[in-house]
Amino acid sequence: MEISQKEYKRVNVVTILGRIDSATAGEFETNLVELAERGRNNIVLDMSDVEFISSAGLRVLVTIRKAVQSAGGDLVLAEPSERVIDTLEIAGLDVLFTAHPDRETAIASF
Amino acid sequence: MTSHTVTIPAELGQIRVLGKTVEEFAQLAGFDSRTGYACQLAVGEACENIIIHGYGPERSGNIAMTVTATAGELKVELCDTAPPFNPARKPLPRELDMENPPVGGLGLIIIHRVMDEVHHERIGSKNCLMLRKRLLPSNQESHAA
Repeated sequence: MEISQKEYKRVNVVTILGRIDSATAGEFETNLVELAERGRNNIVLDMSDVEFISSAGLRVLVTIRKAVQSAGGDLVLAEPSERVIDTLEIAGLDVLFTAHPDRETAIASF
Repeated sequence: MTSHTVTIPAELGQIRVLGKTVEEFAQLAGFDSRTGYACQLAVGEACENIIIHGYGPERSGNIAMTVTATAGELKVELCDTAPPFNPARKPLPRELDMENPPVGGLGLIIIHRVMDEVHHERIGSKNCLMLRKRLLPSNQESHAA
């Protein structure tokens, strides 16, 4: 898994490549927690190149979404890959997350 | 019928090795890539449970996976020597609380939503978990055509 970040005035865009599973979810969570702790509570997750996400990754999404929302922000998805969408649907969590077709639309939603 | 057995150390970083084999055999069974991915996901969740809840941080061991593909059917058998752990009990249906969505039990939900059959057996000192996925008859016909 590779993670990169870009900071905009109101939003942080986090791009994830590869697998988010129990072996990598810790690093994924650390990155997002660090943003929330700095008060950067508007987060776009670019998930267009995520090839696999397990329940460990979903737990991070749910936990961080809750944390940023309670601080007045939100966590939205940009261009989630088919595999991300499938995993969210199988787990019944797709209704929790707003998914935008591309990162520009996701950034503009804040 | 095509069958293959692969054994990995019970380490989270090794699960992807099994996932790759599951996806290959799902393809051999005639599943489309989305169904193959779903099977890979379910097997991965089962392995995570074995490693985290079965062996736990104190124990080490292996997971042996035998995967069998026949036309329209994929069978995955996972055996380990962890203390008894049975993920075959279907989780109760639950309402999604949008404010406080549950973060526990997602693995079991995924396993049972993807797989048609989940069966656990304790044989001597081994846990043997069998997961089976069948292609819907309508999909089988369209695949054959």
